[in-house]
Amino acid sequence: MSCATVTSLRALPRVAAMLVAVAVWVVPVLWVVATSLKPRTDIFTLPPRLWFTPTFEHYRVALGTADILRGLSNSALVATLTMLLTLLISIPAGYAYARLRFPYREPLFFYTLFTQMAPPVGFLIPFFLAFSRLRLLDTHAGIVLIYLSMSVPFAVWLMTTYFLDVPRELEEAALVDGCSRGRALVRVVLPQVYGGVAVTAVLSFINAWNEFIYASVLTGARVRMAPVAIFGFLTTEETLWGPFAATAVLIMGPVVVLALLAQRQIVRGLTLGAFR
Amino acid sequence: MERLTRREMLRLTAGGIAAWTLGAPRWSWSAPASDPYAAARIDWRQLAGERIHILVTPAHYFTKFRAITPEFTRLTGIEVTFEVIPPREMREKAVLDLSARTGNYASHTADPMYLPLYAVNNWVEPLDLFLNDHKLTDRAWFDLEDIVPLWRRHNTVRGRLWGMPVEGEVTIHIYRKDVYDQLGLRPPETLDELRETARRAHAPARNLYGLALRGFRGAGQNMYIWPSLFRAYGGQWFDHAGRPTVNSEAGVRALEYYVSVLREFAPRGVENWNWPEIMEAFAAGTVVQYIDANSTASVIENPAKSKVAGKIGYQRWPKGPTGKRVTSIWNWAMPVNAALPARKKQATWLYIQWLASRPTQLRSATFKEAPDAVVRTGVNRMSIWRDPDYRRVIAFTPDYADVVLTSLREDTDADWRPRIPEWPEIGEVMAIAIQEALVGRKTPKQALDDANAELRRVLRR
Repeated sequence: MSCATVTSLRALPRVAAMLVAVAVWVVPVLWVVATSLKPRTDIFTLPPRLWFTPTFEHYRVALGTADILRGLSNSALVATLTMLLTLLISIPAGYAYARLRFPYREPLFFYTLFTQMAPPVGFLIPFFLAFSRLRLLDTHAGIVLIYLSMSVPFAVWLMTTYFLDVPRELEEAALVDGCSRGRALVRVVLPQVYGGVAVTAVLSFINAWNEFIYASVLTGARVRMAPVAIFGFLTTEETLWGPFAATAVLIMGPVVVLALLAQRQIVRGLTLGAFR
Repeated sequence: MERLTRREMLRLTAGGIAAWTLGAPRWSWSAPASDPYAAARIDWRQLAGERIHILVTPAHYFTKFRAITPEFTRLTGIEVTFEVIPPREMREKAVLDLSARTGNYASHTADPMYLPLYAVNNWVEPLDLFLNDHKLTDRAWFDLEDIVPLWRRHNTVRGRLWGMPVEGEVTIHIYRKDVYDQLGLRPPETLDELRETARRAHAPARNLYGLALRGFRGAGQNMYIWPSLFRAYGGQWFDHAGRPTVNSEAGVRALEYYVSVLREFAPRGVENWNWPEIMEAFAAGTVVQYIDANSTASVIENPAKSKVAGKIGYQRWPKGPTGKRVTSIWNWAMPVNAALPARKKQATWLYIQWLASRPTQLRSATFKEAPDAVVRTGVNRMSIWRDPDYRRVIAFTPDYADVVLTSLREDTDADWRPRIPEWPEIGEVMAIAIQEALVGRKTPKQALDDANAELRRVLRR
């Protein structure tokens, strides 16, 4: 028996365990994809039918439903705005916490995370009442504000830890060369933490894209988001599982694409810095 | 004038049926937008320019209502917008809006079981304020008495009507006629006979199960079906002093029946089944019979959605040991939000009046908003249920309309479920108890004893 064979045999249990772990995650996703392609009368066949003639009918129905299209575009707009504003706030804030000295820095850093300590549903009714008075219910601005309140604290904390990992000498050299702090941040420090920026961007986008509780209560017919719009297929007479699954796939799509595009940065971001 | 209008409506409906049966892709006649409404001696345009926003649940009847609402706008100049969201989320949003008095939703499709809660808090207006206002309502034209009497009584709290029934349903026994014929079974007259038919038809080896009832936990799920058994066994929710008595002998026997038939004859996992799962299983041909809403007929009789279309029989609930058949009382009730400014309240009432009126109900019943649209099986007016043309449209079987109409008239029970402000909590406590008994975590007696104790606590608060 060669050395290589022994090694691969030893690796077998580990590979099997990994396959099981991946299957746990992948099977429900594949199930949804399969349901979105099955003819209606095959969806509930027992035992489940693995071979079937795929149909795109459910996608036609989903995309033909005005609410779904509007939901997807609303979600895209809100999630993109949330992502950009989160970066705009969390990058300078994280840098300030990591590098600058100012009064109450430590307690302020701690309180940044304070709002994350209660479950979001705890703030639902206060937000509803406040939004109702401020006429922010069912507006893009309102829901983006809510998502910022969720993503900014975490993003600031995340970016701070990434900035702390960048050697001070790098920017000190830049400062000595006559760079302003802002310029040093953009030119020297930021390129070192691209992975962290990608992680922050993707996480804040996904949070806003998938969020349901706030979207269902604080938005209505005007700013309906995709995860809420999909609920229109749970009708009082029947659940339209086909279009429901097709919409779920459409909602998953952008997140998967985004994650794949940023994969390298994300892996770098997760293995660098705070998570090391 | 009214006779002529009615006849005209019938003729139009008949034309519609012809178009429908010929497979016309779209409704082929243009609607008379305001003719039948001109007979009402009110000024429909008195609130022109108002805008109201209404929360509704996704259902084919609201799709139809929404599709014909532009006719209301043309008639009155009142603009109506809708938000569509499933029942559970809708209830949460409605209660939040009402309790915070934010007035976002002029009306919504309310669960009548919540009306006592709304009424006791004055979150909505009693409808007699509008019904008795001659400027806003022509009582003779509207004919409130024609609306299904028990639905109205169900929506009445402390002698006043708080929500207008616009659509409703009854639960009936739905069975596979072909399987019954094959086995020489007769539709069961009693609950014991129902158990017997389930036993004889039960063939899990052939993937055919004897019976399914809602097992999923919830005030509107298992507590939508079990109360019929409870009442048919003679159960009383409260004694003369208002103390809960769900653990009476009748209660325990009703729960024992429910648990035993489902454990023996239902597909595995029935404790997680709500009506869509039951209906899908029946449509896939794996369940012989179920008891649920008559409205499911429009799906299970559609060959594109069901493998058993055309092989189905319908009958009223089997009788319980007391000799009573007890069906559900369900309707979607539309209230007027009390937090609205006066003019918006009036505009909302005009919309509710229009929606619940005979012309709108009749027209929406067969309105085809899409080529594969189904017919409404829950119109709110007795006169439409008796109408030969409407009965022809819903003739899934020769006696379907009679089964529903007779259930509506004879099998409804005002005490089907306790109509008190504490219902939301009571419903949940009972739902948990029933599911615990079904999955065998507690015996029916234990489950109901515990639930009864919990209900006492809820009511004492």
